[in-house]
Amino acid sequence: MRSIELEVRTQGGLHARPAAAFVRAATGFRSAIRLENVTLGRPSADALSIVGVLSAGVERGHRVRIVADGVDEEGAIEALGELLAGPGQVGGE
Amino acid sequence: MASGEEAESRIHTAAETAAAQLNALAARLCELNRPGDAEILEAQALMAVDPAIIDEAARRAREGVDPGVAIVDAAEVSAVLLAGIEDDLLAARAADLRDVAARIVRVLNGTHLHLPAAPSIVIADDFPPSLLAEMPRGVLLGLALAGGSPTAHVAILARSLGIPAVVAARGLLDAVRGAATVAVDGESGEVVADPEIAELQVLADRQAVRGERDRAASARRGRPAATSDGKRISLLANIRSPDEAPRALEAGAEGVGLYRTEFLFLRRQSAPSEEEQMGAYRRAMEAFGPDRPVVIRLADIGGDKSIPYLGRPEEPNPFLGVRAIRLGHESRDLLLTQLRAIWRAAGLAGVTPHVMAAMVATIADACLLLDLRDEARAQVCAAGQPCPERMVTGVMIEVPSAAIMAPELARMVDFFSIGTNDLTQYVLAADRGNPSLVRFQDALHPAVLRTVAAVIAAANAAGIPVAVCGELAGDPAGAMVLAGLGVGELSAEAGSLDGVRAALAGVSAAQLDALAAESLAATDAETVRAAANELLGARR
Repeated sequence: MRSIELEVRTQGGLHARPAAAFVRAATGFRSAIRLENVTLGRPSADALSIVGVLSAGVERGHRVRIVADGVDEEGAIEALGELLAGPGQVGGE
Repeated sequence: MASGEEAESRIHTAAETAAAQLNALAARLCELNRPGDAEILEAQALMAVDPAIIDEAARRAREGVDPGVAIVDAAEVSAVLLAGIEDDLLAARAADLRDVAARIVRVLNGTHLHLPAAPSIVIADDFPPSLLAEMPRGVLLGLALAGGSPTAHVAILARSLGIPAVVAARGLLDAVRGAATVAVDGESGEVVADPEIAELQVLADRQAVRGERDRAASARRGRPAATSDGKRISLLANIRSPDEAPRALEAGAEGVGLYRTEFLFLRRQSAPSEEEQMGAYRRAMEAFGPDRPVVIRLADIGGDKSIPYLGRPEEPNPFLGVRAIRLGHESRDLLLTQLRAIWRAAGLAGVTPHVMAAMVATIADACLLLDLRDEARAQVCAAGQPCPERMVTGVMIEVPSAAIMAPELARMVDFFSIGTNDLTQYVLAADRGNPSLVRFQDALHPAVLRTVAAVIAAANAAGIPVAVCGELAGDPAGAMVLAGLGVGELSAEAGSLDGVRAALAGVSAAQLDALAAESLAATDAETVRAAANELLGARR
């Protein structure tokens, strides 16, 4: 299991378009992936659930935690982390 | 249990089919060059296969619940969750989700909605956006809804597909019941039941005129405004609230040249909080993104827009009174709060903030603005909040003394924005609100234009840009004169940008220069307007 905590830099947080892009990206991995809004302290959501990701209410500047568990967990953390924090911002944990 | 497993597998199949349908509709919108609208349907496709919903529906089906009922109930749990979050966008998503559930149920039951096959006007209480996208082009002639709102997805989609639509028409269903023919005018918001032949002719004429206008304007939309020989002029929009951002972007605005924040301050008992202001500014900044500036004008209040909570006495001459930046002495906290909100909003939106102040009359006024700006930034930084490095800071030129001192002011600030309405009233000393003095209210008066020319010369010498954000900028004749004088940015109501873009595209830079020279040499506004209109008419 791998996890990362980062600050969301996506324009407009995880509303609408970025949320859909995040879910589509998560669909490409076989690992179980969860997203948690650390700033708001909401329970974590399944990264494959668009309703879950939208309900996390992630705004730009919020801190989130991504947890991946499975054969491709490393790649999942890196790809999804870059999607939210921007390229080169993901150092792992 | 075989039947439970079968029901579960039927749910999965139906969900996949619904998602495929929605993705196909999204692809169609992309082909129509509507990627923004396609996103609504792409998000719906993801909802159709959302494991949180489908797994819950499958669980209920295994327990013996009818698959259709299971889908609707499971979706409703999530819809209530989304609708409960205090966010208008997410509330709209709840409606989208219910629409998705209904679609999955139709696939499950093998039923089809009876969508009209012949060209029709649809009259309904509400209409989901995915159905609108599903109707073949040419079949849906118009849409009239008793419910909905202008910002609902269905209204946005209808607008972008060019389908005349009237929404939120209370009492509509009773009004058209039994009518054999219905006409819809989406621009005027009229729905006519059983129109007379004469009425139909009026509507048809309007349709023809607008079609011609829209074809000409939309051919240029999205392309930057320029003269026929390629001299660029930036067109920006004036807004009062971030709600106007979509309309401005749709009209091809390259940003906001004037965000009138005073509307946040009016009609209330106490000043808006820093948080409330920050939310509004941030929404505007994020709507336009990092490449399209949003120039926020510090609240232009006092004067004729009096505010009870400022506790100021009534003034005999409000237009010459304590208003805008002049409040910086007596109500320093009001402006500091607004500036902190702007710094913080920009920090969160990841953009460089643009700010300007109205009623700047002296060098001391400009110094006050810069001091307040820097003090607000220090406060935001001290609180440990994210804050940009710099704020692009400008002054409005509308008081004659500021125009006269423009060479010195230009070396202090990053840009000028000329407010032609107030500049006209102050240069000609004629109250804007006095109906006996309307003959003095023409911003094309040479005295105003010569002032504008002097301000532009001062700005050019200091290397700063000049914008015009008054009504003159949105008037095609006025815009041509201003562009000829050397104004590089025009900011006006979104609805007037098409007309200005078309006017500028029809003339060359040399023609504009000649018009400007003629205007500066004129001795009255009528001569200037006649010259501009002649050029405007000649290009048609």
